[in-house]
Amino acid sequence: MKRRKFLKLSASACAALAALELQGNSMFRPAAASTGKPAMLPGSLGAKDIPSVCEMCFWRCPIVGKVKNGRLVKIEGNPKSPANSTTVCARGNSGIQLLYDPDRMKYPLKRTGERGEGKWARISWDEALDEVAHNIKKVKDKYGPHALAYFDHGASAEFMRGIFKDLGTENYTNEPAFFQCVGPAALAFLKTVGYVASGTRQYIDMKNAKAILLMGSHIGENVHVSHVREYMEGLQNGAKLVVVDPRFSAPAGKADLYLPIRPGTDTALLLAWMNFIIEKGLYDREFVQNNCIGFDSVKEAVKKYTIEWAAPICDLKPDEIKKAILMLAEARPHVAIHPGRHATWYGRGDTSRHQALGILAGLFGAVGVPGGLYFPTPVKKAHSECAECGEEPETPVKSLQDDYYPFASTFGSPTSKIIEASLTGDPYPVRLWGINGVNILQTIPNPYHTMDAIRKLDFIFCEEIMPTETAMWSDIVLPGATYLERFDAVYAYDLLTPYLTVRQPVVKPMFEARSPFWIARELAKRLDIDCFKCNDVEEIIEEELKGAGLTLKSLDENGGLVKFKANPYRDRKDLKFNTSSGKMELSVEDFEDEDLDPVPEFIPTPAPPEGYARLIYGRVPVHTFTRTMNNQWLNNEWPENQLWLNDKAAGKMGLKDGEEVQLENQDGARSLPIKLKVTPGIRPDAVYMAHGYGSRSKQLTKAYEKGASDQFVITMYENDPFMGASSHRTNFVRIVKGKKILDIPDLCPVPPQIPRFQLKHAKTGGKR
Amino acid sequence: MSQLAMVIDLKRCVGCHACALACRAEWAVPVPYRRNWVRRLGPASTSHGLSYTFYPGLCNHCDDPKCVSVCPADPVERVFKDPKSGRTVKKTIAATYKDPFSGAVLIEKDRCIGCGSCVEACPYGARYLNEELDDPKADKCTFCVERLQAGEKPACVKTCITEARIFGDLQDRTSEVHRIVASGKAVRLTSKEVNIGPNVYYTGLEKDTHLLVQECAPHERKWENVRAPVRRQVLLAALKRLKVK
Repeated sequence: MKRRKFLKLSASACAALAALELQGNSMFRPAAASTGKPAMLPGSLGAKDIPSVCEMCFWRCPIVGKVKNGRLVKIEGNPKSPANSTTVCARGNSGIQLLYDPDRMKYPLKRTGERGEGKWARISWDEALDEVAHNIKKVKDKYGPHALAYFDHGASAEFMRGIFKDLGTENYTNEPAFFQCVGPAALAFLKTVGYVASGTRQYIDMKNAKAILLMGSHIGENVHVSHVREYMEGLQNGAKLVVVDPRFSAPAGKADLYLPIRPGTDTALLLAWMNFIIEKGLYDREFVQNNCIGFDSVKEAVKKYTIEWAAPICDLKPDEIKKAILMLAEARPHVAIHPGRHATWYGRGDTSRHQALGILAGLFGAVGVPGGLYFPTPVKKAHSECAECGEEPETPVKSLQDDYYPFASTFGSPTSKIIEASLTGDPYPVRLWGINGVNILQTIPNPYHTMDAIRKLDFIFCEEIMPTETAMWSDIVLPGATYLERFDAVYAYDLLTPYLTVRQPVVKPMFEARSPFWIARELAKRLDIDCFKCNDVEEIIEEELKGAGLTLKSLDENGGLVKFKANPYRDRKDLKFNTSSGKMELSVEDFEDEDLDPVPEFIPTPAPPEGYARLIYGRVPVHTFTRTMNNQWLNNEWPENQLWLNDKAAGKMGLKDGEEVQLENQDGARSLPIKLKVTPGIRPDAVYMAHGYGSRSKQLTKAYEKGASDQFVITMYENDPFMGASSHRTNFVRIVKGKKILDIPDLCPVPPQIPRFQLKHAKTGGKR
Repeated sequence: MSQLAMVIDLKRCVGCHACALACRAEWAVPVPYRRNWVRRLGPASTSHGLSYTFYPGLCNHCDDPKCVSVCPADPVERVFKDPKSGRTVKKTIAATYKDPFSGAVLIEKDRCIGCGSCVEACPYGARYLNEELDDPKADKCTFCVERLQAGEKPACVKTCITEARIFGDLQDRTSEVHRIVASGKAVRLTSKEVNIGPNVYYTGLEKDTHLLVQECAPHERKWENVRAPVRRQVLLAALKRLKVK
C-alpha cells in the first residue's frame, strides 16, 4: 500500500465517520458515541484494502484483504475483478482463520518418534534445510536421480518442483490433481479439441447456453466462484438443465430433468445419445463435415448402442433418456456439455467417458460458439528466467510413465506407480519423497499402502501450513507461509472475462513461516543448484508484468487488476484445432496408435456384490479437500459429514436418520463413525459422503476424527489405461451398526450385461 | 417511513454459505454464535416433487418484534431522525427497539442487561447472548445499518456469489424488494400460530418454498424446537433474570 493511497482511504474513512455523526442516531447509535471511547468505524469499514489472490482453493479469485491496525479483519472479492466482483465463497471469507489458526506449523520440525506418530523437535531453518539437502544428495548418489519423487499441488509447490527437475528425476511432478482428479478429462479434451478444456479450469460457456448437461458435476457443492456465477446466469437466462447423477445433488434440485443413473454406466448413456442424434439427424452436419474427423468411425461404433439397450443398463426409463437428449439437441449449437472435472471414477473407461462428452459437444457443433466449449484467451505476460530450472530429465531404461500408460508423461508420474516402486523397488527404487501442497494420505487411494511405502523410504519431507496426516509421516516439516503472507506470481485468467493480477502479502509472515520461493531458493543453494537467479519473487513478478506493460506499482494503482478482451469464439470457416490432424478429432488417432480405443466403447464396471452398495463421494461448499477442516469458522459451519443412505434401503435395514454407523468395505477396511442422512435423494445401490472429513491427525485439534474419511475405505483401485490415474469409485461397503454388520438390500436389479464384483473372501473387522 | 427488507431467491441460491461467513468476518461474531446461517433442506419428497433446497436465515426485523416487547431494560426517551426528510420523532425504548425510520430491529448494547429474554422470545433463533464478553450482551443481525450509512451493502449481500439476496426498502415503490413482494410470489416464514410480520422474504420453485415453509416456519416455540446451542443460553438467561429480580 502506497502512502498516498493510504491517506486517501483514511480521508474517505473520516468522511464516512463525519456522515455518521451528522446523521446522529436516526438509524443506530454507534456504541462508541455512548460509551465515550474514541470513535472508530465498526466492522471492516475504514480498513486498508490490499489487492491479492485467494488460494483457499485453486480457482484463485482476485481478493482484497482488509487490514486494520496490522491485522487482517476481512477478505472480500476485488471489486475490479470481472470474474467474481466483490464476492468470495465461504472459504474465501474464512482465509483469516487459516492465517491465525493456532494449530499452524510455526517452526521447522524434525521427527523424534516413529513415522506417523507426530512427535517432533523444533529446529532452526538452517538445520532443517541442511538435513533435507543432505538426504537428497545421499539418496541421489546411492540410487540415482529417479529415486527422488516429488508430490506437488498448488502455488506453493511450483518453485520446489524446479529443484527436483534440476536433480534429474523423471518423478519431479506427480500431481494428485491429475492422477486423483482431472487427468482423464484433461487428456480426453487435449486429444479431441487440442487444448485442456477441463484441467485447472473448465472452458464451458454456461452463461450463454440454451441448455446445460451436468454429468456428475455438482456445481454449488463444488464452488469455483466465476464458474458458479456463469452457471447461474445461464439458468437465469432460461437455459434448460439436465443433471445425470446417482444422487439428487444441489444442481439436481434446480434441474429441468434429472436422471438418477446407475453408477458406472454414464458412457452407455452418452453412446446411446450419440447414436440417437446421428440416426435422427439431430446433429450439426455442417460443423461435423467441415471441422471434424472420425465421424464415420463414431457412427459405426455407436450403432449397437440404442436407447432401449441403454435403459436397463443405466436403470433409466427410455422416455426420460429420449426427453433429455431432445432437450439438449434442441439447443444446439448453444449447448453446454460440461466437460467434468474430477474424473477418476472407475479406472477403465474414465478417459473414454470424457472423450464421449467431447464427441457429443462436437456432434452438436457446440465448440467455439456462445454456449458451448470455448477457447482460452491467452493473456500477455513476459517470461522471467529467474526461476528456470534444469532441462527435461532423461528417461530411465524403464520409465514409470509411458512404459506403463502411454499418455502418463503428459502429466508426470502416476502416483500409484511411485508408491509401488517405493514398496517393491520395481522397475527401480524410489527412496525419497518431497511433498508440497498436498495431503497424500487423504488424497491417494489405499492410504494403508501409502503408509507402508513411507515406512520403507530413506527420507520424506514436506512443506506444510497445517499439521496434516502427511506432516505426521514426514521426517522434516518446513513451515510454509500462507497465500496471505507472500508474493507468488502473476495470475492470468484466460476464461470469458480475462484479467491479470498478482498475489501479494496482506500481512507479514507469522511465526517462522517462510515463502515457498525462499524455501526453494535456500534449498537449491545447499544442493549447488543455480536456478534461482533473483533474490525475491517481486523481481520475477516485475519481469513478467513487463509483458503487459505494467509494473507492480502501476498494477496497484489500477486496483491490483487489469482486464483484457476475451476471444472465446471462432468463425466456423476459420476453425483450427491444435490436434494432430488440425481438426476436432471425434476419433482420436493418437489413441489408436497406442492400441487404445480411438472411439469410446462401453466397458461395464462391476456392480456391487450382494449386500454391498457402491461408495460415492463429493464435496461440501465450505471445504477444500482436507485443507480447510481445521479452519475454525469452516469447521463450525460444517463440522462433520453425513452418510447418505436411500430411505427405502434404510427402512428395510431398520436404520434411522441421524443414527451413527460405520462403513466396512470389501477389503475389511472400516471408516470412523458417521451419522446417517436417510433420504430419497440417492439410489439404493450407492451410499454417499462428502470427501475430506475424518482427519487422523490429533494436532488438527478441531478436525481430528470429525466425521469419516472416504479415503480410508477406498482401498481398491484400477488405473486408467490411457494415463494411469487411479480410480476412486470402485469400492463397495456395508454398514456397521454397533457390533452388527448389516447387508444393504439389493433394490436395483443388475442386468446380465453388467458383471457383479466377486468378493475374494469375507473379511471383517480389519483396518481402521 | 421505510422498512428495510430482504428477498432471498432460492432459485439463485446454491447453498454455499458465503453469506454466513462474510457476516461472521464483518462483525467478528465468535464461534459458535451466528447472525446469519444456511441450513440444508432435503432432498425430500414434496407434493411438487423431490426438493433439495436451503434455508438462508437471519433476523427478520419483524413488524411486531417479540424480542422488543419482552426487553426489561429501563426505558429511555430517544429522538430519532429520518435521514431522508429530516423529520424527527420521540420514542421511548428499552435496550432493544425497532427503529421508526429504517424498520431495523436494533440493540443499544450499553443498556442491554444481558438477561437473554429477547434470545428466548425470538421464534427464529436469530439472537444470541454473547458470553465471550465479560458482561454478556444480546446480539444479532442489524441489516448492516452501520454499513448502509457508509454507503456499503450488507456484508451478506456483498459477498453472495450468485446475487441471490436482494435488499432494499419495502416502502419504496420503486425498489426491487417492493416489486417482488408486491408480485405476491414471495413467501415468509410464518404460520397460523406465529405471524409477527417478518421482513425477510423467499422466492423460488414452488417445491422449494413449500419445503422451506413446512420445515422452517415457526409454530409454537416449544422447548423441543429450541436448538441445542440456544437451549443452554435460554437456561442461563432464566437464571440471570431470577438473580436480577
